[in-house]
Amino acid sequence: MILRTPPPKKQRAEPIHHDSPSPLVASEGRLVIYEDNPLAAPPPESPNQPSDHLLCTYQCRQMVKADVLDALSNAEKQISDYQSKLEALSESLSKAEAERKKFRDQFLYAEQELAAAKGREQMLHDQLLKEVDDSQERFRKQLETNNELKGKLQNEMNLRKKAEFSSVSAEEKAADLEGKLNQFSQSIETEKKRLHNELALLKGESKLSISRISADLERMEFRANNAEKESELLKEQLEDLKKHLNECLNQKSEVEKKFSSFTFQEVSSSESNILIKHLQEELRNYESEVREARKLKSSHEDIELLKAKLLEEKGRRERVESELSKLQEQQISLVNLENELLLWKLITKDIPDVSCPEDVPVKFATLQKEVIDSTIKIGEANARLKQIEVRLDATELAKQNAEADAALAKEKAEVLKSEVKRTELMLSMVNEERDKLRNVINDSKRHKNEEAGDEMTSGTVVQELESSLVKKESCIKELERNLREQKEINDRQQNEIKLLHDRLNNEARRIKSLERESDRLRSEISLLESKLGHGDYSSANTKVLRMVNTLAVDNESKQTIEALQTELQKTKEKLQALEELKNQSGDTGKLVDSYISEKIMKLKEQIATLEKREERYKTVFADRISVFRRACCELFGYKIVMDEHQRPNGIPVTRFTLQSIYAQNDDEKLEFEYESGNTNILENNYTVQREISHQVDIFVRKLNSIPAFTANLTVESFNRRTLS
Amino acid sequence: MASRTVAKDIITLRGSAAIVSEFFGYAANSILYNRGVYPEESFAKVKKYGLPMLLTQDEGVKSFITNLTAQLSEWLESGKLQRVVMVIMSKATNEVLERWNFSIETDSEVVEKSVSREKSDREIMREIQAIMRQVASSITYLPCLDEPCVFDVLAYTDKDVAVPFTWIESDPKLIANPQMVKLHSFDTKIHKVDTLVSYKNDEWDEQ
Repeated sequence: MILRTPPPKKQRAEPIHHDSPSPLVASEGRLVIYEDNPLAAPPPESPNQPSDHLLCTYQCRQMVKADVLDALSNAEKQISDYQSKLEALSESLSKAEAERKKFRDQFLYAEQELAAAKGREQMLHDQLLKEVDDSQERFRKQLETNNELKGKLQNEMNLRKKAEFSSVSAEEKAADLEGKLNQFSQSIETEKKRLHNELALLKGESKLSISRISADLERMEFRANNAEKESELLKEQLEDLKKHLNECLNQKSEVEKKFSSFTFQEVSSSESNILIKHLQEELRNYESEVREARKLKSSHEDIELLKAKLLEEKGRRERVESELSKLQEQQISLVNLENELLLWKLITKDIPDVSCPEDVPVKFATLQKEVIDSTIKIGEANARLKQIEVRLDATELAKQNAEADAALAKEKAEVLKSEVKRTELMLSMVNEERDKLRNVINDSKRHKNEEAGDEMTSGTVVQELESSLVKKESCIKELERNLREQKEINDRQQNEIKLLHDRLNNEARRIKSLERESDRLRSEISLLESKLGHGDYSSANTKVLRMVNTLAVDNESKQTIEALQTELQKTKEKLQALEELKNQSGDTGKLVDSYISEKIMKLKEQIATLEKREERYKTVFADRISVFRRACCELFGYKIVMDEHQRPNGIPVTRFTLQSIYAQNDDEKLEFEYESGNTNILENNYTVQREISHQVDIFVRKLNSIPAFTANLTVESFNRRTLS
Repeated sequence: MASRTVAKDIITLRGSAAIVSEFFGYAANSILYNRGVYPEESFAKVKKYGLPMLLTQDEGVKSFITNLTAQLSEWLESGKLQRVVMVIMSKATNEVLERWNFSIETDSEVVEKSVSREKSDREIMREIQAIMRQVASSITYLPCLDEPCVFDVLAYTDKDVAVPFTWIESDPKLIANPQMVKLHSFDTKIHKVDTLVSYKNDEWDEQ
C-alpha cells in the first residue's frame, strides 16, 4: 500500500529493520518505500522541513514512483500469481474438500451399508438361529417319533413273528389235516369204487335173477298152458262122464220105473232080472267109474297143489340161496368194513386229541376255529400293518419336509455365506478406499498444515470411522465365528439326517417284506373265503335245515299213486281174464292168481302206507290248527271261523266270522273279509245296532284299528256279563 | 349347487326281516324263471323294486315259497339265520347243479337291545334292484340246464334253533369243485345280505 503522505525519515530505521530483504513477498502485501520512511519518522518530529525534502523527494518520488510502480507491478504480478496460486490452492482445497466430502459420504454410505449389512446379518443370524432351533426341535420330535415308531415296529415285529408262528403252526396243522382229508377222500373213493363194483355185481345178479324169473315165468306159462289143456281135456272127460252119468241115471230111473212097474205085474221073468242085474252091474260100474273119476280129479287136484307147493319151495330155495350168497357177500363187506374201521381207528389215533370217531368232527371244528382265529389275527395284523404303513408314510413325509427344510436352511446358509462374502468384499473394498482416503488425507494434511481446523475435524472423523471400522471388523469376525459354528451344527444335523435316511431305508425294506407277507396272507384269506363261499360251515355253530318239499313229496306220492293205480288196473284186467280162465279151468288159474295176488298185496300195502301218511299229516295239521284256534279263542276272547267265499266277479276271498265268548246270544257275530292284506268289516244285523255301529265308526272307520274295536267290544260284553 | 340331503327312514328289526324275506321270495321266483326250472307260461309279471318281476302262479310253488319266507322272517327277527341256499338239482339223478347262496350278517346289538337304524328305503331298493339285474343277467355265463330240474331251499341256522315240524336236518348239498361268481350285496343296516352263485363246471368248459 502506498501511503499518500510518506511518513517522516526517522522512521527509516524501523522500517529498514522492518523491511525484509524480500519486499516482493506478497504474503503481507506491505510495501515500504526505500526513500521515504514515513514510518521511521517519529511522530514528535513535525513536518517543518518540507522544502528540501520536497525537491529531493520529487525526484526521489518520481524514482520512487517508478520503483513503486515497478514494485507495484511486480507486486501486482506477484499478487496475481499469488491470487492464481491461491485460486489454484483454493480450487485444490475445494477439490480436496469435495473429495473429502465424497469420501466422507462414501464412508457414511459404507457405514450405512455396514450397518444395514450388520442389521441384515443380525436378522439372518436370528433367522438362522430360529430355523436352527426349529429344525432342532423338529429333528428332536422326529427322533422321538422315530423312537416311538421303532418301539412300535419292534412290537409289531414281535406280533408278526407270533402271528407267523401261529400261521405256520396253523398251516402245518392244515397241511396235516389236508393230508388226512386226502387219505379219507382216497379211502372214500376206494369205498365208492367197491360199492360201485358191488352195485354192478348186484345189478348183474338181479339181471340173472330177472332172467331166471322170466324163464320160470315162461315155464310156468307153459305149464299153465299145459295144465289148461289138461284141464280142458279133463273137463271134456268130465262132461262125457257127466253125460254118461246122466244117461246112466236116466237109465236107472227108467229101469227103476220099469222095475217098479214090473213089480206090480209080478212077472218074474228071468230076463228082467238079468236086465236088472245087468243094469245094476252097469250102474255099479258107472259108479265105480265115477268114483275113480272123482279120485282122479282129487288126485289131480292134489298133484296140482303139490306142484304149486313144489314151486313155492323151489322159489324159497332159490331165495334162500340168493340170500346165502348175499350173506357171504355181506360177510365179506363186513370184514372189509372192519378192516376199514381199524384203519380209521389207527388214523384217529394218529390225530392228536381224538380218542373216538365222535371226537373227529369236534377236532375238525376246533381246527376250523383255530384257522378262523388265525385268519382273524392275520386280519388284525394286516390292519396294524396298514396303520404302520400309514405312520411310515407320515414319517417319510415329515422326513421329506425336514429334508426340504434342511435344504432351505442350507440354501439360506449359503446365501448368508455369499452375503457375508459380499460384505467382506465390500469391507475389503471399503478398507482399501479407507486406506486410499487415509493416504489422500495424509497428503492433504501435509499439504495443508495451516488448515488445522478442518484437517483436525477430518482426522477425528477418520479416526471415528477407523474405530467404527475396527468395531465392524470385530463384528464381522464374530459373525464369521457364528457362521462356522452354524456350519458345524449343520454338518452334524446333516449327518443325523443321513443316519435317519439309512434307518428309513431299512424300515422301507422291512415294510416291503411285510407287504409281501400281507399279500400272501390276503391270497390265503381269499382262498378261505372261497371255501366259505363254497358252502362249508362249522357244525359246532351251524346246522342245515331243509323244508320238507311238500311239492316233491306230493308229486312223488301222486306219481306213485298214479303208477300204482295203473298197475292196479292192469292187474285187475289180468285178474278178470284169469278169473274167466279159471271159470273155464279152475285149477290152472291158481298159480297165476298167487303171483298176481302177491303183487296186488304189495301194491295195496303201499297204498295203505301212503294213505296212512296222508292221514297222519292231516291229523297233525288238524291238531295244530285246532290248538292254534283254541289258543286264539282263549287269548283274544273270540271264536274265529274261516271260510273261503267267491265274490260275484270270481275273486276268491277269505271270510272270518268272530263270536265273542262273552256273547249273550248267537246273533252277536262280527264278520270280516280278508283280501291280500286288507281286512274289511261287513255289515250284519249285529253291527247295524246303534251302539255297535257307533263303535265301528269310531274305531274302524276313524281310527282304522280293528283290534281296538274288538278289544273294546270284549270289555263291554265282559262287563255286561259280569253285571248281569 | 345346493347339496341334496338324503331322507333316511327308520328301520326296525321286524321291518328289516320283512324286507330280507320278501327279497328272498322275489329272488327265488326270479331264479326259477331265469333258469327255466318251471315253464315261462306259469309266471306272471308284477312291478317290484322298480323292475318287472316274474312270480310263479303254480299254487304248490307259491304256497311253498310263502311258508318258506314266513319261517325265514321269524328266524331273521330272532337273529338266528346265517345263510339261505337255493339248490337246483337234476330231477333224474338228484345231482346238485347250482347253489344260490345268500349269506346274512345280523347286527347283534339290534337283536339284543331292540334299537332301530336309519337308512333310506330308496337306497335299499336300489341295492336290491342291482342284485335282481345281476340274477337276470346270470344266464349269460351260467351253463344251460338241459334236463328237467327241481329246486330245494336250505337254511343255515344257529345250533340252538328249534326245528319246526315242516323242516328237517339235511346235508349241505355241496358241489364238488364249483365255479363261483360273487354278486352284489345289500344292507339294511340291521341285516347285510351277500349273494354268491356256485355252479358245476360245464363239460364244454372242461374240454
